[in-house]
Amino acid sequence: MTDLVSDPDPKGDNPFDSRRPPHQGLTASTPRWVKVFGTVMVVLVLVFVALHLTGHGLGGHTTIRSAAQQP
Amino acid sequence: MTMTPRLRKFALTTHVTSSVGWLGAVAVFLALAIAGMTGQDAQLMRAAYLAMELTTWTVILPLALLSLLSGVVSSLGTNWGLFRYYWVLLKLLITILATIVLLVHMQPIDLLAGVAAKTTVFRADLQSLQLLMVTGSSAALVVLIVLTVLSVYKPRGMTQYGQRRQRAMLREAIVQQR
Repeated sequence: MTDLVSDPDPKGDNPFDSRRPPHQGLTASTPRWVKVFGTVMVVLVLVFVALHLTGHGLGGHTTIRSAAQQP
Repeated sequence: MTMTPRLRKFALTTHVTSSVGWLGAVAVFLALAIAGMTGQDAQLMRAAYLAMELTTWTVILPLALLSLLSGVVSSLGTNWGLFRYYWVLLKLLITILATIVLLVHMQPIDLLAGVAAKTTVFRADLQSLQLLMVTGSSAALVVLIVLTVLSVYKPRGMTQYGQRRQRAMLREAIVQQR
C-alpha cells in the first residue's frame, strides 16, 4: 500500500524538487566529474576567446564593422 | 534565508519555465538561422532574419535574464545555496557566460535583420555572419542541454564552502540539543 505520508522523493530523484539537498560527506574531496567538467569548460572558453581574438571565430566578428559601414 | 514552500515553488516554476523556454527559443532561432543561410527563397531568408531579431530581443534575452535571476533566487532561498554544491555553482557560471555571449552577439543579429529589412540580396561578406548565427545557436543549444542535464541529475559533490557551512550547522544543532 502506498504511504501517503512519507517523502514522495526520498532519493532526491525528482528534477524539480529543490526542497532539500541530499546528505553529503563532511570531508569529501573535489569529485572527478567536477575536475573533468571544469577542465573541458576552461579549454572551450580559451579556444572560444582565442578564435575570436585572432579573427578566426565561428563566423567572425571582424565582418561586422565592415558590413555595418557598407550601404 | 529560507523561503516559504509557496514562494519556493513559485520561484522554481519560474526558473524551470524560463530555462526550458530559453532552450526552446534557441532551437527555433537555430531553425531560422539554417533557413536564412541555406534558403533559396529570398523572401523566406528576409523573414527568417527579421524573425530572429524579434525572437532574440523579445523572447531569448528576457528568458535568459529571467532564468539567471530565478535560479539565483531559488538557490539562495533553499538549502541548496548558491556556492555550496558544485552542480549549482557550475550552472551559475555557465548561465552567466551564456548570457554574456548572447549579449555580445546581439550586434550581428541586428545587422543581419537590418540588411534583410532593406534588401533581398545578401552580400557575400555577410556569409560569415550567417554562419555565425548557425554555429552560435548550435553551441548555445548544447550548453542549454548541459544545464538541463545538470539540473536533472544533480551530480554529487559539495564545495569547500558548503562543507564548512554544513559543519557549522551541525555544531549549532549539537549545541542546541545540549
